[in-house]
Amino acid sequence: MSERALRGVAARLDARIPRPESFTSDLRGERTTAHVGVWLGVAFAVAFATGLYSHAAQLATPPLALPAAPSRLYQVTQGLHVAAGTAAVPLLLVKLWSVFPRLFVRPPGRPRALAVHLLERGSVALLVGSAVFQLVTGLANSAQWYPWSFGFVGAHYALAWVAAGSVVLHVAVKLPVVRRALGEPVERTAAGTGPSRRTLLGATWLSAAIAVVATSAAEVPGLRRVALLAVRSGEGPQGVPVNRSAVGAAVAGLLDDPAWRLRVVGPGGAVELSIADLEAMPQHGADLPIACVEGWSASGRWGGVRVRDVAALVGGGPGDDVVVRSLQTRGAYRESRLPANFVQHPDSLLALRLAGEPLHPDHGRPCRLIAPGRPGVLQTKWVREVQVVTT
Amino acid sequence: MRTVRSVLGLAGVAGVGYGLLRLLRLPGDQVVAVVVWAAGGVVGHDGVLAPAVVALGVAATLLARWARPALAVLLVVLGPLTLVAVPVLGRFGARPDNPTLLDRPYLAGWLAIVGGALLVALGVALRDRRRLRRAEPGAPS
Repeated sequence: MSERALRGVAARLDARIPRPESFTSDLRGERTTAHVGVWLGVAFAVAFATGLYSHAAQLATPPLALPAAPSRLYQVTQGLHVAAGTAAVPLLLVKLWSVFPRLFVRPPGRPRALAVHLLERGSVALLVGSAVFQLVTGLANSAQWYPWSFGFVGAHYALAWVAAGSVVLHVAVKLPVVRRALGEPVERTAAGTGPSRRTLLGATWLSAAIAVVATSAAEVPGLRRVALLAVRSGEGPQGVPVNRSAVGAAVAGLLDDPAWRLRVVGPGGAVELSIADLEAMPQHGADLPIACVEGWSASGRWGGVRVRDVAALVGGGPGDDVVVRSLQTRGAYRESRLPANFVQHPDSLLALRLAGEPLHPDHGRPCRLIAPGRPGVLQTKWVREVQVVTT
Repeated sequence: MRTVRSVLGLAGVAGVGYGLLRLLRLPGDQVVAVVVWAAGGVVGHDGVLAPAVVALGVAATLLARWARPALAVLLVVLGPLTLVAVPVLGRFGARPDNPTLLDRPYLAGWLAIVGGALLVALGVALRDRRRLRRAEPGAPS
């Protein structure tokens, strides 16, 4: 094909692709984008901050000592994380709708302008790609759905930085536009030709509110029934839902073995404790939540021995961490490290009972870790070994 | 303003850079999968979802003016909410050994929300029809 013919084809194609001016709805544009964008920024900021907290809480040795009180702290931060991410879905979709015509801006011809154009396009592509990725993977993870081949934690954490960074960069680029648009009244033209901007914004806030209530209200006492789309009803054996069952963790056959002993190792030696030995120690009760990274949580009345009492049997002192290991032979969460400030907390238990009964197999029979303010995946179940680690 | 924008810009680039470094520390096949999913998000939105919404908008111009705001409300409320509900409606993560997971009647819940949204939209439509009739008596709606 000759160059002339190619140009003709390109011109005909170009004429068929819409231009920004082809989109006539005056509902799109700066004022809609700025108003929705501000709330989208807030939602992303909340999700990022609470996500960093959750990530730090799951590191074997957190960079900062995280607080063991209040016991509901992680329940609140992770509930906010999932709620903010859920609210971001309608906000992101409406915001992207409002700027969709800009996708069709033709690249400028001059090299310098073209470079700037491509940089901006690239940064927006990073923003959209990472934002959609975070919302899709987060929502699917909360329903334990993994239709991909990458590890959720590593990917969601890496792209959280990409998303947060590209949001901040985008704010830097668009700040003058945002300030101008927010300074103007919401409506400029008389309504009557179609939906008003007020109607659109109102519907967007309503959409975000319904999404949050329908998925997250189960965490608020009295509102459980309106959480129509919650991943858990909040019910389960002994009144608490289960994240991973004994069958799922491949330990179901090991739980009622009369030869089970809790092995306790530390600087002062090693001891082995049977259930009867544990029951002969001072018993304590604590009302503590299981607060899952997936956003759900449920409280129970746990009974058992204090972690610090068990650690003291082998010479564990106030400055020592404790590593708790499960009967599980595989799985990323078969052991967890309890930092010293959690070990010393009087409510940190090696629990033997829930709701006054011996632990249900799915809750970690014969013995599990339960401590305040921790992610549920670190409340190790089916414990076989406790090791005092001198730091 | 200039300083604020420069600081924000640099912080943003640093955040993106750190995220990409974290990503590249994952095994190679996982990096590829993440990039495919992220690119898929852009293509899925810009190539499928957004054009579909534009098409709905064009179709709505064929309808009576008073009905359009109500339909816009319906789309903005139910569209994102339905996407949010996909993982629970499909119960893709359900496991036979764990009956406490995904244990609500999600279809009924979703239909209840649809019903509520329809009621709100109906209210908006009736309001707009009355207003339009009052503003332009005798005009075709």
